[in-house]
Amino acid sequence: MWAMRHAYAFIAPFYLLFLVFGAFPLVWSLYLTFQEWDGLRPMKHVGLRNFAMLLRDQRFLDALGNTAIYWTVDVAFIICLALLMAVLLHTPRLSGRRFYRLVLFLPNVTATVAVGLVFIMLFDFNSGLVNALLGSLGLPRLGWLNSTGLSKVPVMVLAIWRATPWYMLILLSGLQAINPELYQAATVDGAGPVQKLFRITIPSLATVLFFCFLTETIDSFRLFTEPYITTGGGPGSSSLSIVQYLYESGFTVFKLGYASAIGYVLTVILMVISAAQVIFLRRGGGAMGSAP
Amino acid sequence: MRSAARRAQAPVHLVLLAWCALSVFPLLWMVGTSLKPVAEGIGGLGSMVPNVPTIVNYEAVAGLLPLARNTLNSFIVATLGTLSTVFLCSLAGFAFAKYSFPGRDFLFLFLLATMLIPPEVGIVPTFLIMRRLRWINTYWALIVPRAATAIGIFYMRQYIAGFPSEVIEQGRLDGCGEFRVYWQLVLPSISPALAAWATISFIARWNDFMWPLLLMRSKQMYTLMVSISVLPVSEGLSTPWPVIMAGSTIAVLPLICIYFVLQRFQVSGLMVGAVKG
Repeated sequence: MWAMRHAYAFIAPFYLLFLVFGAFPLVWSLYLTFQEWDGLRPMKHVGLRNFAMLLRDQRFLDALGNTAIYWTVDVAFIICLALLMAVLLHTPRLSGRRFYRLVLFLPNVTATVAVGLVFIMLFDFNSGLVNALLGSLGLPRLGWLNSTGLSKVPVMVLAIWRATPWYMLILLSGLQAINPELYQAATVDGAGPVQKLFRITIPSLATVLFFCFLTETIDSFRLFTEPYITTGGGPGSSSLSIVQYLYESGFTVFKLGYASAIGYVLTVILMVISAAQVIFLRRGGGAMGSAP
Repeated sequence: MRSAARRAQAPVHLVLLAWCALSVFPLLWMVGTSLKPVAEGIGGLGSMVPNVPTIVNYEAVAGLLPLARNTLNSFIVATLGTLSTVFLCSLAGFAFAKYSFPGRDFLFLFLLATMLIPPEVGIVPTFLIMRRLRWINTYWALIVPRAATAIGIFYMRQYIAGFPSEVIEQGRLDGCGEFRVYWQLVLPSISPALAAWATISFIARWNDFMWPLLLMRSKQMYTLMVSISVLPVSEGLSTPWPVIMAGSTIAVLPLICIYFVLQRFQVSGLMVGAVKG
C-alpha cells in the first residue's frame, strides 16, 4: 500500500471533503431528527415525534404529493422530448446540425432564477402572454400562478424547458455510439424507420436511457429553485416541493429537528427508488438487450 | 437525388426549428422587455419589440442592487470553483484509471454511491458547520465543499481510461515522478475532457441558487442569482417588470457570451467516453 501512496494522495481530497461536508452533516442530521431545536435554546430529545408529526402535517403531505407529480411528469416529458430531439439531430447528412446543437442547448445555459422571473411575467393572469394567446383563441384566461389547480404547470414547464437539452446531448452521444451496420442490416431486411427506432435505437440506448432516468429522478426530487421563484410554493401548498418545505422548516421557522426529519424522508425515498430501478434494470436488462 | 434527400429532411428541420424557437423565445422576451420604457405595456404578443428602446431600466436596477459587486462574486465563485474541481477531479480520475491499488474498486463504488445521497439532507448541519468555521458570507463556503465531486471524478476516469498506459511507463523510465506524469503527460492530452468538464462546472456554479441563498447573507456578498431573486419583493412587489428583466438579462448574458465563445468544447465530447464506458 505504501508503494501506492501517491494514488491515495490523488484521490484523498474527495474523501476528505466528503467526510467533512457530506458524511458528517449526514450523521449529525440523523441525530437532529430525534431533537426539538430552534438553534438557540437547548435541544430537547423527542424520540420519533418529528416523524410522527410529519405524517399528520398536511403541508408536508402536499409537498410529498406535489414532488411525486413533478417527478413523473418531468421525467416522462424530458426523456421523450430529449429522445425525439436527439434522434432528429442524428439524421444522416443533416444540414445545420452545429447551429441546432448550439441553439437547442441554450436553455440549459440559462439560469433557472432568471427564466423563472420571465415565467412569472409570461404566466401572469392579467398581462401575461400565455393568457393573451388563450384570449386570442377565444378561450378564457387561466390563473396559472394563483390557482391551486394550475400552479404546478409553470413549475413543470420551466423544469422541462431547462433540463431537456442536457438529456438530448447525452442521448445524442449514445446514438453516435451505435454501430451503423445494425441499421444497414435492418434496411436490407426491409425494416422501416419506426421499426428501426423500437428494434435497434431504443434497445441499444437502454443503459443510457437508464442513466438519464436515474439522474432526472434524483434531480426532480431535489426540485427547489423552480417553485421557489415562480410560485413560492403557493397558493397554499399547491406547488410546494419537498426540498422547499425542508428549507422553509429549517431557515424560515427554525424547526431544525423537523427539517432534518424531512431530509431523511427524502433520502429514504430516493434510496428506495434508486434500488428499485437498479433491480429492474438487472432483471429486465437481459430482455431489453445490452448496449453494443 | 440531393434535392429529394433534402425534401425528405424538411419535417425534421420543421420540428427542430420549432423547438429552437421555444428555446430562444423566453430569452428574447426577457431582453425585449428590459429595453422598454416602464410606461409601455408588457402584455400582448406584439409587445416583444419595444417601440422606443431605452437603457433606463438597467440604470434603475443598478441603483436598487450592488450589481457590480454581485457579478464579481459570481465570477470569483464560478472561476475558483471550476479550477479546483477540474484539477482535483482529473487528478483523482487519473489515479482511478491508471493505478491498481488495494481497495480501488471499493473506493470507486463508494464514490458512485455518494451520488445517490441528496446533499439537501445535510443542509441544517452544513449551515451550522459553516457558521462555526466563520465561512458564512465568504467565498470559501461555496467553493470548498464541492471542490471535488463524484460525478466529475467518474467522467474523468472514463475519459482517462483511454489514455495509452505505455506513454505513462515511458514517462516513468524517463525519470518523471507520479505527479509530473499527471501534470506533463496526461493533462495536456485530455484537454477536450478538461474543457468540457470546466464548461459544465462553470455553468452549474454560475446558475447555482440554493447554496448561495443559504450561505450568503449580506447584499454585498450575494451572487447575481440571489441578488436578482429578491427583485420582485424588494420594493414590496412594486418593482416594474422592465427593471426586473434588466436584472435577469444581466444575470444571464455573461454566461451566454462565454457559451458562444466556448461552444466548440461541446459537452458531448465528455459524454461519449462516459456513455461508452
